Amino acid sequence: MNLSLRWPRTLASRLSLIFLIGLILAQALSFGAQYYERYESAKNTMLGNLETDVSTSIAILDRLPANERPNWLQQLQRKNYGYLLNEGEKGTPMDMEMPDAPIAMASIVDAVGKQYPMTFTDIPGPRKHFQAHLKLSDGNPLTIDVRPAMVPLSPWLPIVLIGQLALMLACSWLAVRIAIRPLTRLAEAVDTLDPNTHPVLLDEEGPTEVAHAAKAFNAMQARIAAYLKERMQLLAAISHDLQTPITRMKLRAEFMDDCVEKEKLWNDLGEMEHLVREGVAYARSVHGATEESRRTDLDSFLDSLVFDYQDVGKDVQLSGKSLTVIDTRPHALRRVLVNLTDNAVKFAGAAELLVEKKADGSVSVKVMDRGPGIAEAELAQVMEPFYRVENSRNRSTGGTGLGLAIAQQLALAIGGTLTLSNREGGGLCAELKLKP
Amino acid sequence: MEHVDHILIVDDDREIRELVGNYLKKNGLRTTVVADGRQMRTFLESTPVDLIVMDIMMPGDDGLMLCRELRAGKHKTTPILMLTARNDETDRIIGLEMGADDYLVKPFAARELLARINAVLRRTRMLPPNLVVTETSRMLAFGRWKLDTSARHLLDGDGTMVALSGAEYRLLRVFLDHPQRVLNRDQLLNLTQGRDADLFDRSVDLLVSRLRQRLLDDAREPAYIKTVRSEGYVFSLPVEIVGAPA
Repeated sequence: MNLSLRWPRTLASRLSLIFLIGLILAQALSFGAQYYERYESAKNTMLGNLETDVSTSIAILDRLPANERPNWLQQLQRKNYGYLLNEGEKGTPMDMEMPDAPIAMASIVDAVGKQYPMTFTDIPGPRKHFQAHLKLSDGNPLTIDVRPAMVPLSPWLPIVLIGQLALMLACSWLAVRIAIRPLTRLAEAVDTLDPNTHPVLLDEEGPTEVAHAAKAFNAMQARIAAYLKERMQLLAAISHDLQTPITRMKLRAEFMDDCVEKEKLWNDLGEMEHLVREGVAYARSVHGATEESRRTDLDSFLDSLVFDYQDVGKDVQLSGKSLTVIDTRPHALRRVLVNLTDNAVKFAGAAELLVEKKADGSVSVKVMDRGPGIAEAELAQVMEPFYRVENSRNRSTGGTGLGLAIAQQLALAIGGTLTLSNREGGGLCAELKLKP
Repeated sequence: MEHVDHILIVDDDREIRELVGNYLKKNGLRTTVVADGRQMRTFLESTPVDLIVMDIMMPGDDGLMLCRELRAGKHKTTPILMLTARNDETDRIIGLEMGADDYLVKPFAARELLARINAVLRRTRMLPPNLVVTETSRMLAFGRWKLDTSARHLLDGDGTMVALSGAEYRLLRVFLDHPQRVLNRDQLLNLTQGRDADLFDRSVDLLVSRLRQRLLDDAREPAYIKTVRSEGYVFSLPVEIVGAPA
């Protein structure tokens, strides 16, 4: 068993621990001080009383005739000491010089020691006490039996102490909760922060520090959104302004006589056009879709997608049935699958789509091909914008390096995940998982 | 004298409208080019045209506003083909809601524009639709289905979206535009030829059977699209225009 104390992980438990230990220590100190003070004052009062009381009692007993003395003993009996008209019990003799001599001994000596020489004995036993032995003036022995004891504590004291402890626990819990809650809320807000959707603004009320942090967070959110918007607007503006010259050039090219140069010009314009469109699409996908989510019959959705490819003579097949209605943004989902299918058709000449419903209710749509695949080391990178696979025919086929980045962004935007893997026997498998 | 189709081109870019105009002229059409909505209105006052090609993004009155204006006025039936610089689904939807008959995304090839113009003219002449969908009433209701004509998908009774491929949508739209009227295969083929005219090689029969599946129609006892032996097909249910869902 590991007995070494470990510093707790959470801020809440650390703060609670500090509060609790501090409060308990402070409480114990003040209780100890008070107890000591009480003890001292009680002792002084008691010893003062003892001196006058003992001298009075002995003077009374001394003056009484010997036969009347026993009747008075009852009246002279006190809580901590009493009188015996005999030699007392045998015990260990005590000396005033002994270091642990009770202070009451000195008080008794002070009170009557001058008139009556006396000896002290310590009586061992279950309740330790001591006796002072002296001879009255008529020669009869007298023993003072002293049982030192503090005034007992009140029975309600432990209850009050427990109550205090409970109060301290409650207060530190409350304080820690108040201190931690804004932090937890901030962490939650940062976790769910998605500048693409509507910003989740923190409440700017509360204690100064909390309000400050909330304001700073809200401002940061607005800044991120503004940067993203600016980037989108820049991309959109550039590509929009490019569309007009490209349109003019395409129209002019159509007036040219058919020749190799026209063909090349036409292809270059096609590439530029594609890049411009993908740039806008990527900017939009990062900025987030404004499209509403709607209940969509997934099988007919995939059917229509595949038929659109087949109708223009592309080899795209669909297998599997999901029998599912999902809540999704249909244009975004379509764009993801179209980008994946276009890639498959481009690199492998054919695409196979496979839809499956998983046991946990989620749906997986796989777009598979038998093309060259992607080196394992590059699988993660190909999702980055403008990344092109080395040695691929990508450049010559006019890829922009944005298709997969757009698919990835939109997959995230519709709450799905997109993973790429190489298939056994060659080819690429892109799997889109959609939550139920 | 033989009728030559007169095309009005509205675009704020001088070069584009002139290049387009010249190309169409070279291919046997009559063309007039104007730069903005004001010139367009002035021209239409005096001369009727067969089709308007209009850019969406224009300074002043943009294409969408002009399109809406034309549809609300006396040019309700003049076919409009939109040119849009943005390749965005929402633009397409808005353009079609505003009453455009087709759209083309810039940059486009002039020969594609020519093909589209011819397709739109053929479609609107052969069988003018007897239901005109508008911006606010764009849903066609029939049986247990509704067709959203701008988003181009079906909605079932509880609002679940059922997607249609491009060819399926065009065929269904032809049926819904001409309900309870027998359409032969040639008519259907002509009317459904849209943007992929030259690549479209599916037979009408295959498309009809696909559409029946999509509508959950029993091929032996069809409730929606009935086969008329040796003539063609007929859409047998009444169709009505309803408002778009909120």
